[in-house]
Amino acid sequence: MREVNEDASAYARQRATAEAIERGGGGLGVNDLLAKVAPTAPPDQPPAAPSGARRPDTAAEAARTAGSGPVAGPSSATGSGAGAAVLRPTGSGGGTQWPAGPDGGFAEPPLTGAGADAAVQLPTGSGGGTQWPAGPDGGFAEPPSTGSEADATVQLPTGSGGGTQWPADSDVGSAAPPPSGSRTASSDARPTRSDTASAPPPPTDPAAYTGGGTLPIQDTGGGTLPIQGTPGPLPTQNAEDLAAVIAAMAGRHLPEGHLSPDADFFDAGGSSVNAVELVAELEDELGMELDLDEVFADARPRSLARRWLQTTGATALPAPPLRTPLPPPTAPAIVLPRPHAAAPHTTARREDLDQILADLALADRLPFTGSPEPLPPRRILLTGATGFLGSHMLLDLLRHSDAQVYCLVRASDQAAAVTRLGEALRSYELPWSSEVRRRITVLPGDIRRPHLGLSDDLWHRLAHELDSVVGVAAAVDFLRGYPSLRSSNVLGALTLAELAATGRPKPLHHISSIAVFNEVGITSMGEEDPLAHVDRLIAGYDQTKWAAEVALRRARDHGLVVTALRPGGIGGHTKTGAYNPQDLSSGLISAFGRFRTVPAFRYLNAAPVDWVSRTAVGVICEPDAWGFDYNLTGVPNTLDDVVRDMALGGMHVRVQDWDEWRADALARLEADPVPELTFLARVLQSPTALKLCEATLKGPAATMDRTAALTEALGLAPAARYDARAQLRTFEKLAHDGLARLPHKDDQPYLWFSETTEGGVRPIGTAAPASPCATDLTLSIASMHQLVTERRVDARGELRCPAVHPDPLTVERGDVWIRPEEGIPQQHGLRHQLLCYRLQLRDADGGRWWLEGRKYARARRDLWRQTRALSIEIGRAGEVASLAGEVVVPADSYVRDQIDGIKVDPRLTSQEKRAAKLTWLAWFGLEMGRGLLGPFARAAADLLDLRRPQTSTEHNR
Amino acid sequence: MIFKATNSRPRPALRRVRTTTALRPLRHRLHPAAVEEIPFRAGDGVRLGLTRIDTGEQDRPAVLLLHGHTASADMFLLPETRNLVDALLDGGYEPWLLDWRGSCRLPYNETGQKYTYDDVALHDIPEAVSHIRARIGDRPLFVVAHCIGSLTLSLSMTAGLVPGLAGVVSQGVFLTPKLAGRTSLRMSLAGELLKSRIDHIPVDFRKVGLWSRYTPLFALASRRASCPDPTCQILHNSAWGTGASLFVHEHLSETTHGRLAELLGPAPLWILPHLRRIELARSVVRWHDTDLRYRTLPPNALDAAARIDTPVLLLSGSENGLWLDSQKLCHQVLARRQPQLDVTYAEIPGYGHLDTFLGRGAALDVFGHILDFLDERR
Repeated sequence: MREVNEDASAYARQRATAEAIERGGGGLGVNDLLAKVAPTAPPDQPPAAPSGARRPDTAAEAARTAGSGPVAGPSSATGSGAGAAVLRPTGSGGGTQWPAGPDGGFAEPPLTGAGADAAVQLPTGSGGGTQWPAGPDGGFAEPPSTGSEADATVQLPTGSGGGTQWPADSDVGSAAPPPSGSRTASSDARPTRSDTASAPPPPTDPAAYTGGGTLPIQDTGGGTLPIQGTPGPLPTQNAEDLAAVIAAMAGRHLPEGHLSPDADFFDAGGSSVNAVELVAELEDELGMELDLDEVFADARPRSLARRWLQTTGATALPAPPLRTPLPPPTAPAIVLPRPHAAAPHTTARREDLDQILADLALADRLPFTGSPEPLPPRRILLTGATGFLGSHMLLDLLRHSDAQVYCLVRASDQAAAVTRLGEALRSYELPWSSEVRRRITVLPGDIRRPHLGLSDDLWHRLAHELDSVVGVAAAVDFLRGYPSLRSSNVLGALTLAELAATGRPKPLHHISSIAVFNEVGITSMGEEDPLAHVDRLIAGYDQTKWAAEVALRRARDHGLVVTALRPGGIGGHTKTGAYNPQDLSSGLISAFGRFRTVPAFRYLNAAPVDWVSRTAVGVICEPDAWGFDYNLTGVPNTLDDVVRDMALGGMHVRVQDWDEWRADALARLEADPVPELTFLARVLQSPTALKLCEATLKGPAATMDRTAALTEALGLAPAARYDARAQLRTFEKLAHDGLARLPHKDDQPYLWFSETTEGGVRPIGTAAPASPCATDLTLSIASMHQLVTERRVDARGELRCPAVHPDPLTVERGDVWIRPEEGIPQQHGLRHQLLCYRLQLRDADGGRWWLEGRKYARARRDLWRQTRALSIEIGRAGEVASLAGEVVVPADSYVRDQIDGIKVDPRLTSQEKRAAKLTWLAWFGLEMGRGLLGPFARAAADLLDLRRPQTSTEHNR
Repeated sequence: MIFKATNSRPRPALRRVRTTTALRPLRHRLHPAAVEEIPFRAGDGVRLGLTRIDTGEQDRPAVLLLHGHTASADMFLLPETRNLVDALLDGGYEPWLLDWRGSCRLPYNETGQKYTYDDVALHDIPEAVSHIRARIGDRPLFVVAHCIGSLTLSLSMTAGLVPGLAGVVSQGVFLTPKLAGRTSLRMSLAGELLKSRIDHIPVDFRKVGLWSRYTPLFALASRRASCPDPTCQILHNSAWGTGASLFVHEHLSETTHGRLAELLGPAPLWILPHLRRIELARSVVRWHDTDLRYRTLPPNALDAAARIDTPVLLLSGSENGLWLDSQKLCHQVLARRQPQLDVTYAEIPGYGHLDTFLGRGAALDVFGHILDFLDERR
C-alpha cells in the first residue's frame, strides 16, 4: 500500500509541480522544485524506477506510518471501506499470506512489487463466489455495501443466488483502517485538485482536468494558442465581447439553454443540426460568415470569435504574423514546421498538433503501478455502456464472466442513468430485465470530468475494489475537430488510466480504433505496425484516437497494463440486425443499396458488432491476453465481395470512381432528401471528413494475426467475412428505419412473366351451370429478398367474369403466396396448400371485389393438374364469397408463358439475367416439389403405421 | 488374453416385487427443506414426479414447469448457473415442477411401458394441473413448457382439459411442429431400420461402452462433430441420430456440458410413429383414432385452437436446430386463423433449442422475456 500511496501522492505532487512550472514557476527555483519532488521520490526508491521486489523495510515503514499517522481522522472510516477491499492482515484462510509488518499490522498489496502480486488480493478463486475472508481476528474488511456515504448512489450486489457474498459482520474493518491510497490521496492529492477546481474555468469545462490556474487548454502542456500573449492587431476585449455574444446565441440551441464561452458547443449537447442552425443565425444576426467546417473543428465561442476576428483582421491588415507559437518553457524546444497554407486539408492544423503534444505529456504524470493479479475480473468498470459497441460488450461481459459490471453513464443522477442505460440497451435489441439489472451497478458520471465526475469517496472505493477497467466511451463524430473531441476521447482515456493505476493495480482495456492508421497512403495496418503520422491525420476523430492510444502506450511505461483493441468499421448485429444509426458504414451501406452504386474502394475493414464485442470480452476475461494491441477488424471485404454480395440479394450495383460517386450521391441526396441520411450528406460535404473517408476507402486491408491466434486459443468464433447473409438483418432494419430502401413492387420488377387461366364459377350453394371466368395476370417479383423472406409474388392484370361484371375487372393489388403457412392444411386432412392468390379487384363501375384462390396438393396422381388448378372464391369487398369455382392454367400455355416467357429487368447484363431466371426457377421448382411431396409422405407414413406394432424390448438392462 | 475383459455385461435387474418405480433424486442447490416432493400419479396410475418449491409465502402465483421429452425437472434447477427456478423465486412466484412420463428421472423411456403423447396430454398434465389447483386455491397458475412438454400441453389445452390458466409460455414448439426435411427423413428411416433391433437410443456413452449395438449410432453422430465428447455428439451434432442440433455449443457452461448425460436421457424409438405423424401433418394430431378413451382429445389440435383461453407467449431461439422456426410459423398461423387469441412471439437471437434454459446466459437473454410476460398477467 505504501507504493500505492506514494504513487498517488507522487502523481498529485508531480502534477502540482508541473502546474507550477507552467504558471511560470510560481517563484520556485529548480532547487525548490527538487525539494518539492524529493519526498515523493526518495533516492533509494524513485517512483520512476519501480522496484521489482518489495522491501521489508518499506513494509515496516508503512506499518509504522499507519500506526502513528493521522489515520483516525474523520475521513478514515470511509476511506477504509475502499482500502480494505485489498487488504488482509494475517491469517486469512485462503492461503494468501501477507508479508506482515513487524507490529502485525496490515501489509499492503504492493502496487509495483511484481513478485508479491500473484499472492495478493482477493481470494477470488477459493470457494464459489467472492467470499471475503473474515479472518479469525476479524480485522478486516468492510464490504462496500456497508461502508460509505456513496451507498445512496451505488447499488451493490446483494448476495442472492451465489454471486458475491459479503461478510455479515464488518465492524472491525473500520477499526483497523489501513493507510490506503484513499487517505493519502485525500490528504495530498485532494488539495491540489481543489485548487484546480476552484480555478476560474467553470466546472463544466472538462479542460479543467489538465489543470493550471488559468484557462487550461491554452495554458497546459506547452500548447500556446496564437493569440494569447501575441501583440497582434486584434482587440482582445472585442474578442471577449464577441465570444460572449456567440455563447449567448449558441446557448439557445442547447438543451441546457446556455453555453460558457470556453465550453464546446457539441460537448454541451449540441448536434450537427443545431450547429447548422447556429451558423445560419450568426450570419443573419452578426454578419459572421463562418465556414461550417470551422465550427465543427472547434466550436468554443471564444475560438469562433477569435477566428472570425482573425479572418477579418487578416483581410484588413496585410500580413501580421498571427501565428507564432511560443515554445513552452519546460518542453524541449521543438520547432514544428508550419503546415502549408496552400494545401489546407492535407496536414493537421498546427494548434491541434500543439494540443495533441500537450495532451500526450499528461500521461507522464500517471502514477506508477504494479502488475494486476492474473485472474478473470470480478468487478469491472465499463464506460460507454450506452453506446453501440459498449452495450453489446456489457451483455457479453455479463454472459461470459461472473463479474459485477459498474457502468459509468452520463446522467444527472442515479435514476436518470439507469433509465438512460435501459433505453440504450432496448434500442439495440438487447435484454433489459431484472436479471440484467441485478448484475450491474450504474454510476452516474462523465468521462470528461476529473475523476469521472464521481465523488472522491466513490473514486477511491472504485480504485481499490475494481479489478478491471474497460474504456469504450468515446465521442464518435467525423466532423468535429480535435479540441472538441479531446476531452472525451483523450482526457477520458487518461482519467481511466489514472483510475487503473491508482489503488489496486488493474488492467485497462481501451477501445481504440483502426482510425489510428487513417492516413492517406499508409501501406499496412497490422497490430504491430507503426501508427499513422499524426500530422497527416486530418479528422479530429482520427487525431483523438491516435493521441489516446499513444498516451496509453506511455502509460505502459508506468507499469500499467493497457490493452488496445482496435475495431474497424463495426457493422450491425448478425442476429438482431441492431446497427449504429450514426455510423458512417450504416450510411454508406444504405446509400449503396439505395442508389445501386458503390465507390471504388480497396477494402472495407468491417466486422459485425457481435464478433467484435465477443472477441473484446474474450480479451478482457483472459489474463494472458491482457496488455497487447489487437486489431478487431474482421476479414476485410474487397470491392468484388461487396458487389457480388449485393447481386446475390438481387441488388446489382455499378461501381464508380470515388469522386464521381460522391458527387452523384450528393446530387441524389439533394434532389430527393432522405432525413435519415442527412448526416451522410454532411460528411460527404466536409473536407476533413472526406479525408477520413478517402483514407478509409483507399487504405490497405488490416491484418489481425494476434487476434486470430487469440480466438483460436480461446475457442471463440474466428472472424468471418461480413457477407450478405450476415448483413441481411441489418439491411432489413436499415430499410425498416428509412435509411436503406428495399426494392418495392412499384419499382421496375426484377423478374416477371404472364399467367392465364380459364374456367368457370357458379353462385355458392346452387347447381346453376358454371359461367365462364378467366384471368390474365402478370406475376412479378421486386427482388429475390422478397421471395425468400415473404414467399410472395406480386400480381397485376385483369379478371374476365361475366357473372361478376360484363367488363373485365382490374387487379388493384394482388399477392400470390407460395406454400403459405408451410402448406399446413386448412382443415384436418391431406389437402395441403400449394399456392394462395389474393386479389383486390375493381370493376368498370367502380365496384370493389375480392378474389381468393388456392392450389392444393393431394396424395393423388394428377400432379400436373394440381399445379395448375386454382380453386377460387369471389365476393364483394367486405362481404362473404358469392361465387366459387375453379380456373386452370391451360396446359399448352404453361411452359410457354411461365418458363420460356420469363422476362428480367433489362438493366441487367445478360449474364445477370440468366442467373436471375435460373435462381427463380430453381427456387420455385424446389418449393413446388416439397409442397407436392407433403401429402404423399403422410400417406406413406400412414401405410407404414398399419403394420403390427413392434413389441421388441431390449434385454439386459 | 489381455483383450479379454471380465464379464462386462450389465447386472440383471431384480424383478420388482415390493417396490415401485422411484424417481432419481433432483440435483439442486436450494435448501432441502424448501423442496417438497409430492408422491404423484397420473390419471391412469402411472407414477410421475411433482415437486413444489416452498417459499414460505402463501400468496405467490404458481408456475408449473414442463420439461421436454427425455429431459427432466433438473433442466430448470441447474445448480451451476442462474436457473429459471432462481429467477422465478426472485420474481415472486412459486415454482412447481412436473416430471411427466417422458422424464429421464423415470424409467419409462428406457424400460417401462410404452406410451404416446396422447397419454401425456390426457393424463399427466391435466392431473398435475388439478393437483396444483387443489393446493393453491384460486391463486393464478402459469405454465412454462419446453419442447414436447409444450406440444402435449397444446393438445391438453385444445382439448379443454386445463382451462383457466393465467398464461402459458411455450418454448421451441407449440401447435405447428416443423422439422427440417433432412431430420424428418433420417428420423423415419432410422426408426424403420432400427426398430426391430433396439427400442431406444442411449446418450450416455459410459453406460453402453465402446463396443455395443449402439456403436454405429455413436459413430454416425461423430461425423463432422466439433466436440470429442460422444454424449455431446449424439445430442448436439445429431439429436439422437436425427442430425438436428439441440443447442448452441458455446452457450453451455463446462459443468452443464459435462452433465449432459444426466440432463437428457435415452430416447425411445417406439414414440417415433406418433412424432412422425405429428411432424408430417405440421400440426399436433392425436394418435389413437379408434380408442374411445382418448376421444376427449381433438383429432387435430390446430383446428381446435379456438378453445385456447389463455394468453400464450411463443418463445424460440433464432438458431433452433431442431424445430426451426416452428414458433414463428405458429404465430403466423394463429394470427391468421384465430385472430382473437392473445398470442405473442418472441425470438431470442443467437440461441438454439435447449440452451434457452440450459445456457449459461439464459437468465440474461431468455428469462427476462418469461418474467415480463408473467409479471404483466399475475
